[in-house]
Amino acid sequence: MTAVGRRIAAAGLALGVLLAGAAPALAETTLEKIGRTGVFVVGARTGSPPFGFIDKQNNWGGFSVDLAKMVHQNIEKKLGKPIKFELKESTPATRIPLLSSGAVDLIAGTMTITRARRESLDFSAVFFVTGAQFLVKKGSPIRGVQTIAGKRIGAQQGSTNEKVLREKYPQAQLVVFPDQPAAFTALTQGKIDAYTNDGVQLAGLKAKAPNPAEWDVVGEFFSYEPYGMAMRKNETDFRNLVDFRLMEAIESGEYQKAYDKWFGAQGEVPYPLSETARIFLQMQVIPR
Amino acid sequence: MPRPFLALAYQFQWSILWTSPYGGWLLQGILTTLKLTVLGWVLAAALGAVFGAVRTVPSRFLRGVGGVYVEIFRNVPLLVWMFLWYFGVPQILPAAAQEWLNRHNGELIAAVAALGVYHGARLAEVVRAGIQSIPSTQLEAALSTGLTLTQAYRLVLVPIALRLIVPPLTNESLNLLKNSSLALTISVAETTFMTRQIESYTAKGFEALTAGTLIYLGLCLGVSAVMARIEHRVAIPGLIVRGGGAEH
Repeated sequence: MTAVGRRIAAAGLALGVLLAGAAPALAETTLEKIGRTGVFVVGARTGSPPFGFIDKQNNWGGFSVDLAKMVHQNIEKKLGKPIKFELKESTPATRIPLLSSGAVDLIAGTMTITRARRESLDFSAVFFVTGAQFLVKKGSPIRGVQTIAGKRIGAQQGSTNEKVLREKYPQAQLVVFPDQPAAFTALTQGKIDAYTNDGVQLAGLKAKAPNPAEWDVVGEFFSYEPYGMAMRKNETDFRNLVDFRLMEAIESGEYQKAYDKWFGAQGEVPYPLSETARIFLQMQVIPR
Repeated sequence: MPRPFLALAYQFQWSILWTSPYGGWLLQGILTTLKLTVLGWVLAAALGAVFGAVRTVPSRFLRGVGGVYVEIFRNVPLLVWMFLWYFGVPQILPAAAQEWLNRHNGELIAAVAALGVYHGARLAEVVRAGIQSIPSTQLEAALSTGLTLTQAYRLVLVPIALRLIVPPLTNESLNLLKNSSLALTISVAETTFMTRQIESYTAKGFEALTAGTLIYLGLCLGVSAVMARIEHRVAIPGLIVRGGGAEH
């Protein structure tokens, strides 16, 4: 064996040992993993006010994070011991690999439930309902999907809006950004003519902008975006835990309280809960 | 019975990689990566040759200019340069130029500038090392034939140095190719961008990333092979111990 050959063989052996060592750890459920490590890791957004964002005091939180904290309470109850609650940044482009690699246990961000995603992930019940619109500078000729032909429209990579735009509205020139702050900077600088995302997120961006009056959220919803928390597939126990907690929260009014904290008149992003959405959420609560 | 969450739950579906539109996206990604690499490399090579040479000239002022260029551009992370070239630099241009950039793929232009200028600074050091490895008698001989200093650099020193530095140049070229993936942060749809796109559409991350890995490996091996041929062809007899001789 040559020196190089020996080295390759040694590296291969090391890799084999590593994989063999890692294998048993992989063959456990999410709840078992949380119990073993004592940590519940949640993938959250950092730039999507008010679902997940870092505020001016450098605190990381938001509406989705609050819901995840409620789930955390029930995990502790179920496992009968204190569990550490940990946040990890997740973006539309990274959230699926973070989840499938086991780096996070739950995605609590702004993820739309779709049939394609349900092929490889499981989702909680719907915790928020919105639809795609456009954020433009005040006075922009763009008023909705009918007026985007030939315009440069920014979207977030991996988002459902990006997909809808690419497939249904090829007349627009799509510019895809890995995260929301980059897209918003590009919009501020006129590098793109409009930025598309779910209406509530655009309302959040507008509210957080240095000069909110400069911006308009325009157009009818051109997509339906029901948000859910995502988890690894085929784990009924864990999914039930998440779902039941969400139902409890809607029943007990905790959901409404969290909603008012973030979306109420005094909240980060004033966005009243529509009557339709309220009824829809309540209908999801199945009997005990 | 606990259900394994990763080992068995994941079903591989390699056919994703060649089904429409995903296969086409990968090809587009490869083309964009090549475009970034070639344009970035040309810019980097030009800047590297000029500033590398400038850093060895007798003039203190010029050496200083070369030094400032190298230290500023190689000591800031490339990712930061990507953002600066895309978001920062256009801000100081006139409105008409900004408008032009926005309509003419300013993302790609910014990425090429970031790659070229950053790697140019690194290449300058390689070129400087090459020039400094040439015995000073070469310069003296060139000057004594009546060449001006500029001519001596252009016709003698730089060409010799470029022939000497092919191995580290290969290294830098491979780095440039791989670093082109950072362009995804400013919305350039290169290979890594496309693998992420496929992943977010299909949730088939392992397949997409494997494809990306193999694409970069293949491209880099291709560059290595080309550079090895160049190295073989341009080696200066007597100045470099050639590949086959290294094991003696």
